[in-house]
Amino acid sequence: MEEEHRVTDLIKELVLRLLSQNPQNPSSSIDTQKSLRYAIRILSSLMTPSIAPDSAAIAESIKRQLATQGKSSQALAFADLYTKFASKNGPGSIENKWAVLYLLKVISEDRKNQKSRSDSRVSSGFSASVGLPALFDAESGGYSGVSRNRETLEKGWNNGVLLVSKDPENIREIAVREFANLVKEENEVSEEVLVRDVLYACQGIDGKYVKFDKSVDGYLLRDSIKVPRATRITVQKLCELGWLFRKVKGYISESMDRFPAEDVGTVGQAFCAALQDELSHYYKLLAVLEAQSMNPIPLVSEMANSGNYLSLRRLSVWFAEPMVKMRLMAVLVDKCRVLRGGAMAGAIHLHAQHGDPLVHEFMRQLLCRVCSPLFEMVRSWVLEGELEDIFAEFFVLGQPVKAESLWREGYRLHAGMLPSFISQSLAQRILRTGKSINFLRVCCEDRGWADAATEAAAAAGTTTRRGGLGYGETDALESLVIEAAKRIDKHLLDVMYKQYKFKEHCLAIKRYLLLGQGDFVQYLMDIVGPELSEPANTISSFKLAGLLESAIRSSNAQYDDRDILDRLRVKMMPHGTGDRGWDVFSLEYDARVPLNTVFTESVMARYLRIFNFLWKLRRVEHALIGAWKTMKPNCITSNSFIKLQSAVKLQLLSTLRRCQVLWDEMNHFVSNLQYYIMFEVLEVSWSNFSNEMEAAKDLDDLLAAHDKYLNSIVEKSLLGERSQNLYKTLFVLFDLILRFRSHVDRLYEGIHELQSRTMESLSPSRDKTRSRRLLNDKTAEPGAWISDGRKALTQRAGEFLRNMGQDLDAIAKEYSSLLEGFISQLPVQQHIDLKFLLFRLDFTEFYCQLHPNM
Amino acid sequence: MDPEASQTARESLELTFHMSNILETGLDRHTVSVLIALCDLGLNPEALAAVVKELRREPFSSFPMPETPSSAS
Repeated sequence: MEEEHRVTDLIKELVLRLLSQNPQNPSSSIDTQKSLRYAIRILSSLMTPSIAPDSAAIAESIKRQLATQGKSSQALAFADLYTKFASKNGPGSIENKWAVLYLLKVISEDRKNQKSRSDSRVSSGFSASVGLPALFDAESGGYSGVSRNRETLEKGWNNGVLLVSKDPENIREIAVREFANLVKEENEVSEEVLVRDVLYACQGIDGKYVKFDKSVDGYLLRDSIKVPRATRITVQKLCELGWLFRKVKGYISESMDRFPAEDVGTVGQAFCAALQDELSHYYKLLAVLEAQSMNPIPLVSEMANSGNYLSLRRLSVWFAEPMVKMRLMAVLVDKCRVLRGGAMAGAIHLHAQHGDPLVHEFMRQLLCRVCSPLFEMVRSWVLEGELEDIFAEFFVLGQPVKAESLWREGYRLHAGMLPSFISQSLAQRILRTGKSINFLRVCCEDRGWADAATEAAAAAGTTTRRGGLGYGETDALESLVIEAAKRIDKHLLDVMYKQYKFKEHCLAIKRYLLLGQGDFVQYLMDIVGPELSEPANTISSFKLAGLLESAIRSSNAQYDDRDILDRLRVKMMPHGTGDRGWDVFSLEYDARVPLNTVFTESVMARYLRIFNFLWKLRRVEHALIGAWKTMKPNCITSNSFIKLQSAVKLQLLSTLRRCQVLWDEMNHFVSNLQYYIMFEVLEVSWSNFSNEMEAAKDLDDLLAAHDKYLNSIVEKSLLGERSQNLYKTLFVLFDLILRFRSHVDRLYEGIHELQSRTMESLSPSRDKTRSRRLLNDKTAEPGAWISDGRKALTQRAGEFLRNMGQDLDAIAKEYSSLLEGFISQLPVQQHIDLKFLLFRLDFTEFYCQLHPNM
Repeated sequence: MDPEASQTARESLELTFHMSNILETGLDRHTVSVLIALCDLGLNPEALAAVVKELRREPFSSFPMPETPSSAS
């Protein structure tokens, strides 16, 4: 009774306090009484609690509720308080702790509901915000939800969407139980087993129910197993990962097997290593998932916490990212199955041009690994000239050649192995740098390039050791290559110019082979000339060599460098019968390694051709000058005119005059041609070439400049292919001139003989005895000859002169027609500018006027 | 009550009051103590909560007196 009183008192107290808290209602005693009665009624109705008296569970649920509402700090504080609270035992403490906790919980929930309800009172129907918290509370509160909802329903508001009926809990439970039974019936195999099987499949292992089907080429659930179609399809989709995995793993193990047979290169190996790294990440994920799959999957009816269990749906979420990566790897594996080396790197690089950041990052890491052997090869090639390429993966190919063709043919680019992130110009530069180092090492026997290489590396910011560069640093590679190329090219050119005196040798070739050293050529021509008139097979080259030496000694050439003079030699070209020495004589210059990179066989052959032409021209000039020596007026020729008949004298004079005129024309032609060749062609080309030599930055430039120099000489001196006609005409002209020379010689010989005979007959007093004796020796009738000697002489002279005159006329006519043809062809030449030659030959427009059709 | 017991009681009350503040129940200390006493005497906490809710509601007299439902399970 006392207890009851106490209870009543307490209740009264409670009511009073609560009412006094309520600010809106003034507490009247009637209200108080009413409330009191009401409170007692409520209290008596709900006598037994509907939850288990477990304070820990309640505290736990409160904590969770707070955490899910986002008040994690408060949850922690609450936990703290609860621990202290729970530890309070003994007299004075609260016995029914669970009751207190539960009370607080319910009150706070009610308050929240009240607040939210007052907010949403205006909205019609039941709003989700009102509904869900209740549902949520029902879930987390667990057992209490049912009874509470029942209560709140009576207030006229539908809180829960689910629980509408009067007796919801039973129906709900029944439905859930039925569903569980149905699920068990439909699935022969439980989901957990399927999940585990799928996980096995994703590692390439056949599970209990999920096996690899070769006919379909995929992992399948056997048709005999009864599972709902949705599950079957989900399993199939998840097993795609297994199929991809199989493909990638298959490629890796294949490559590893093939490696000893040296079919897979270093790039392929790097690719396999990178793939294996990715797969190890994948294995880690699978291990975690397998651990989780050991937890049982809760059914729908049970309390589903967000615990670590693994269902097929959760698996598909987990597999999303690995699927993307595995697909990428499988695509790459397919692409790269047949490729190797730089081609493989290029193909992977093309795939890396992707917008998705995940893909991009993945490919970038993969490429870093894959391209490292390639970059290593580039580095060692560029800085050391070493081509360490056992598997033929590099884009620079080397082949063993002789030292002189090392530069032109020793190394070349292999376009198939060039990866797409290295541009063509960069590749050319790489090739040239390595080639220069090898050239220096082999041909020039020079060691200084190593310093240049270290300098270059330091300038570019990397080291000469391994591993300085990686993919994605194409800029760094480019700068390294450019620096190395700059320095090594400079070094190479220095070596060529200083050590091997390239310029001096070029100049020497110009002076000797291109007949630049005039006095030497003159002497040579003088000495060698008579020799060369013999048939070719009777000439000995030793004799010619001796003559060459003496020519050198007697000219300014003797002051030249001994090394250069040593290289100058006489060469007799292969000759047939009937060739004169003139046709087969030539000089040659021996350019040794490394200069014969520039002066190759074909280049020297061209020089030879030019030499022949120039030599012929010189010979003609020489012949004409020789003719002048005999032709110049002198007392011998002029004296004889006094004693001859006037007719003969006239004839003689006219012949001589015609001869002079023709000589003059020919000389004009030849000397102008000579000057044109000398100044317009040779010197101009040489000065251009000198300028280009100064400006050349590497050996390729130098080679190109030299080629250009030779080409211009060949073209401008009418030796090119398109000037064939002109060339032929020219040579015919030369032959004609030589014929003229021989005619002149004969003419003057004849005149001299005539003159000497005339002198004898006219001055018997002088050397009478001697001439008489001669005459006596010659003829039986001394007197008769003298008497009809003059007549016969005159006759003979006349005949002779007439013949000569005719010959000269013929020559003159032929000459002028040929010359006309030659000159008329000059302006027609499109590819070279011959206006200077034309100008020189015809500056008085004599020929133009003479032959108006020109 | 000996001082130890009263201390324990005081501390328990404090802790309970803090907890109720965290849960935003809006109860003051005195009310909490009354409620604790009632709980300890064995009253149903659900009923007490219902009382608290009813008596705290604002438009008080507009609702009719509720039917007493059958006892909860």
